[in-house]
Amino acid sequence: MGLTKYWESCKISLYNSLVYKADFISNSLFIGLIIFIFVYLWKAVYGSGHGVIEGFTISMMVWYFVMTESIVTAPGRLIEEIGEDVQSGEIATKLNKPYNSVLFKYAYNMGQTLLRFILTFLVGGIIAFLFLGGVEINWLTLPLVGIVIILALTLHFCMMMLLGIFTFWFEDAKALNFLYNKIIFVFGGMLLPLEIFPQWLAKISAVMPFSFVAYHPARLFVIFNLNNFIRTIFLELIWIALFSGLIAIFYKSFIKKISINGG
Amino acid sequence: MAAIIKVENISKEFRIKEKEPGLKGSLKSLFTSKYKSIDAVDNISFNVNKGEVVGFIGPNGAGKSTTIKMMTGILFPSSGKINVINYDPQKERKKLAFKVGTVFGQKPQLWYHLPAIDTFNLFAKIYEIPEKQYQQRLKELIKTFEVEEVINQPVRKLSLGQRMRCEMIASLLHNPEVLFLDEPTIGMDIVAKKRIRELIKNLNENDGVTVILTSHDLEDVEQVCKRLIIINNGKIVYDGSTKGIREKYLNFKIIQVILNEKTESLNLGLKNVKAVFKGKFRHVIEIDTSKHPIQEVVKKIVSKYNVEDINILDPPIEEIISRIYQNKTDHKDQKWD
Repeated sequence: MGLTKYWESCKISLYNSLVYKADFISNSLFIGLIIFIFVYLWKAVYGSGHGVIEGFTISMMVWYFVMTESIVTAPGRLIEEIGEDVQSGEIATKLNKPYNSVLFKYAYNMGQTLLRFILTFLVGGIIAFLFLGGVEINWLTLPLVGIVIILALTLHFCMMMLLGIFTFWFEDAKALNFLYNKIIFVFGGMLLPLEIFPQWLAKISAVMPFSFVAYHPARLFVIFNLNNFIRTIFLELIWIALFSGLIAIFYKSFIKKISINGG
Repeated sequence: MAAIIKVENISKEFRIKEKEPGLKGSLKSLFTSKYKSIDAVDNISFNVNKGEVVGFIGPNGAGKSTTIKMMTGILFPSSGKINVINYDPQKERKKLAFKVGTVFGQKPQLWYHLPAIDTFNLFAKIYEIPEKQYQQRLKELIKTFEVEEVINQPVRKLSLGQRMRCEMIASLLHNPEVLFLDEPTIGMDIVAKKRIRELIKNLNENDGVTVILTSHDLEDVEQVCKRLIIINNGKIVYDGSTKGIREKYLNFKIIQVILNEKTESLNLGLKNVKAVFKGKFRHVIEIDTSKHPIQEVVKKIVSKYNVEDINILDPPIEEIISRIYQNKTDHKDQKWD
């Protein structure tokens, strides 16, 4: 049994990404620009005093945003990619190989995702550091936060994969992608930490899967807390298991109904 | 000989969403969806023996590719049974994938921006080929397919012929017993086509690989396959030897002549010559090659007229199919196999 094929998938995705290096770098630079604007936005909000908003200092707020941006934008256009594969019939060449196609796609996407995550985080981090200085983190907790981030990216993949499969029925990958992105943007806490929301909304958002992609990992990064860490990992795993189950169910019926156009 | 592929009464029905034209239609389709069923493949049965090279031909949309995709487990038939190398392709797709190779002419599997060697290395891992065996096999294939110079260049820089040879290597690395080639020569020039045909032939003769080939180019199939299955509208209209088709239906050629002077019609004084098109300068005739050899006719044309250009073509596949149908209705009592 070879798991090496999935590792190999991750590797070729990296080679392939390096071909598109200009695309990657410009993408990260653009996100850097957004972070730069946010630095000034938050400066205006916090005023001249070094206040604290809902437990966040200004540098925590900006580093939080650097982290959510890096995670959320890392998988790229996954939903649309799957939609294109289905509609162009390209999926035929991906189904006739002796591997688990979803796992293979996961490994492939993870290769690019990690690269993009690191790039964006570096660019965003440099900007945050230059304008606001570092954030107080216990470096020992970073490997733990790393685990939370990997799981967050995995959950992110699972939800996007499921929506990608749905494009078979909805035929409109762009709309699904748009909807999902906006939900992550708001309910996932990508833009603002959930603490800023009205309490009832914050409570609901905090248990929904979307916040485990952005809010929880980013919060753990700026405010580490062992209890929160354990709880986050636990819930991330539950959501991943749930979405994996849904993917398995829908993938099966999708495979049976698929019709491959042309050629 | 044992059948390596058994296909029994398979059908595949596609549901296609229909939309009325214009804005009104678009708005309407938001609320109600109308579907139309199309029988892409309609109750097809055939067997393929080990070591055979079978050509599937038919016009676009005839169901050739759909049949191949069902044999490799990518598509699920609406009804019927398929068995390939003792596997049920739909239930055991992964196991079957280790034993078969597939090339889709229109759906490349090589990474477009990477050199072909990267895809080969990936496939070696996907197919779980031991490293030593892989290196040896790769060396052999690179030699036979003559791609030494191009495997380190990004695939996008290769010519169509080079690319297809690399595609074939990718699908042969794991030594498949059956090779499915779906339109492997599409879009290629004559020289490249010829190379691909030779390679397919060699593969079958030297390695004993069973080959299923689809094409809408009659010549492809004629050169490579001893057996021919013609599909039209999802049904098999002919399943038999290629020779049989040549004798019964390919005994005519189309000659297109462009003359330097205005001429009413070509008058060659030959009996079995039919005018298909009469222009002022361009004339198209159809000749029965069993009655008049090509040379004879061409010689006559050239000696009699002032010729600017001359083209000799095979009849299109649609023409042959219509002749098969004609023949069927003409001799209703004759049994067809």
